[in-house]
Amino acid sequence: MILQDISLQLQAGKAKLVKELVQSAIDQGLAPEVILNDGLLAGMDVIGKKFKEGTIFVPEVLVAARAMNMGAALLKPLLVKEGIPSAGKVCIGTVKGDLHDIGKNLVKMMLESKGLEVVDLGTDVSAETFVETAIAENCKVICCSALLTTTMDVMGEVVSLAGEKGIRQQVKIMIGGAPVTEEFCKQIGADAYTEDAASAADMALAFCKA
Amino acid sequence: MPVLHWKTAQKEYTLLFEGTPKVADLLREQGIPFPAPCGGKGTCGKCAVVLEGAVSAPNEAEKKAGCRLACQAVLLGEAWGAPLREDAPFARVEGTDYRPDTPLQGISAAIDIGTTTVALKVFGEDGSLLGEASGLNPQRVYAADVIGRIDAALKGKGEELQNAILDRMDTLLAAACQAGGIEKEDIVSFAVTGNTAMLYLLTGRSPASIATFPFRSETLFGETWELFGKPAYLPSCMNAFVGADITCALLASGMCEKEETALLCDVGTNGEIALWKDGKLYVTSTAAGPAFEGAEISRGCGYIPGAVDRLWMANGKLYAHTVGDLPAVGICGSGLLDAVACFLESEELDETGAMDGDFLPIAGDVTLTQKDVRALQLAKAAIAAGIEILLARAGVKEREIADVYLAGGFGTHLSPESAVKIGLLPRSFLGKIIPLGNAALQGACMLLGDPAPREKCNSLAASSIHVELGGSADFNDAFVEHMFF
Repeated sequence: MILQDISLQLQAGKAKLVKELVQSAIDQGLAPEVILNDGLLAGMDVIGKKFKEGTIFVPEVLVAARAMNMGAALLKPLLVKEGIPSAGKVCIGTVKGDLHDIGKNLVKMMLESKGLEVVDLGTDVSAETFVETAIAENCKVICCSALLTTTMDVMGEVVSLAGEKGIRQQVKIMIGGAPVTEEFCKQIGADAYTEDAASAADMALAFCKA
Repeated sequence: MPVLHWKTAQKEYTLLFEGTPKVADLLREQGIPFPAPCGGKGTCGKCAVVLEGAVSAPNEAEKKAGCRLACQAVLLGEAWGAPLREDAPFARVEGTDYRPDTPLQGISAAIDIGTTTVALKVFGEDGSLLGEASGLNPQRVYAADVIGRIDAALKGKGEELQNAILDRMDTLLAAACQAGGIEKEDIVSFAVTGNTAMLYLLTGRSPASIATFPFRSETLFGETWELFGKPAYLPSCMNAFVGADITCALLASGMCEKEETALLCDVGTNGEIALWKDGKLYVTSTAAGPAFEGAEISRGCGYIPGAVDRLWMANGKLYAHTVGDLPAVGICGSGLLDAVACFLESEELDETGAMDGDFLPIAGDVTLTQKDVRALQLAKAAIAAGIEILLARAGVKEREIADVYLAGGFGTHLSPESAVKIGLLPRSFLGKIIPLGNAALQGACMLLGDPAPREKCNSLAASSIHVELGGSADFNDAFVEHMFF
């Protein structure tokens, strides 16, 4: 079964194989959203669960994510044509003063694997950009990432600016990154801190559905 | 047929040979593990042996090393041999015996402030070594990593951090001076090197400019400061993340005096990489995390007595060497590399880094866990990707590189074969690797006398081209690409 193969090869991080399998699934006439949901996303779901359980670690997730990306790139033009409704819109970025984006990209991938539409603001993102984007793009969640202890405080600025702009009721603010803690989240008044990328995606999906 | 009687701590071998082979070649041929990091160039001194019987006279390389080298000595007939200093197999390193060659103005001290370790040497006026000392950097209690310490300084702990390092330098200087039979007050000048953040914290400057992107350091030093009432030269840093320690290491390596294309790596928590090509110096830094220093590894430790520092496979069996031949207490960075290389060889680890079960036994109760392998994969991928992207940005092909200098403790102890096997370094680097030991400290020693090396440091730092890896798509791709083995 080709969809199961896609899922298994994605879990093993075999990007080239996944790409080939996705192409042959398309050639076989399978619907793009079926390939996406039952092949790629099913595989990514297993990765996410194992990651959360602690049975696999960042390296496996990164290589699986790359395989997912390569497969999804083939499906994207087909999916756009068909216009699949998204589960909700989220913006994400690494905060101002920080260029680390491997963790941020991982969360982005997990968010997309949950069917969420993601606006990626990249790195070195100011509080203004986060809040303005959330308003302009009608995002339900802002996700802020930081790896440097020295840049974490920007997350607090995002929370206060969102308050000033009066969007704290409509938009949830989620934070994460190596130096970030639950305690820090409470201290700055953000809505949620999650420990890993898979939990972040679950949380964001829950916020969007609420 | 002539015979080499070879004796190690574990076993005695009787090795038959034909012709006049080099000792190292015979050992390799017979499958006896033996370090040859420099690939038989006779430059690293790591294959030191004791030899008796019908052997060649010591050649220039051996005279320079002060001992017989397995990669140089030729067997002429029946001979007896053993590894020299099995308990400290990597004790001798090129350049460690450096002494300032011009007369100094008086008793002088060179100090290297590492993020983890502080090391110093005190020299007499004639350039002779009077004493040396090293100890942990006490700032570690504030944060293990540089950025954590910068944050602490910005949150009002700057003075405490400065006092902590000054106190430690004072103690270490006192110890070194006592060994040399002099007083600390006899020292007339200093040269103090370290990464950019360490120099900020030492001098009590606010590190705000190097705390966040765009990391434009407001000073790059290359100036004389006052330490314990005496002039202290602080060498030039290249940028916020490639500091004076690398400038000094480059000076010590001498690679920027040569025509050949060369690479210098200091692999630690931060991997700093410098590339010299056609008179241009490209530098970068990449965050490897602390795995190579033993942190984040279940049984990880530094290069301490009882640390498993070398592992090898022979006849399908795993052999371990510990520092001081003591019962295994943990595994240090070089042992970790060997362990993963051995388990890849024995296929107990697959190319994705997965093992059956949760752990693999190493020595005694020391094991390698699945999580350890994952931590190592992140660290090695960061370094390997850093090298790849630095070369790509400079338009240099791997094979163009003539020499690869490894600075720092881990770089000095690691087995190049294992480093290549696990993909930390490209395969084409084998045979080109030159371990430097504490190159930052050696470079600082060179700055004590003649002013010319200071000028050299300034011009190197000023002309260095910084390659930023953070947030670039090609680096992220390369990072994932290098994750597997």
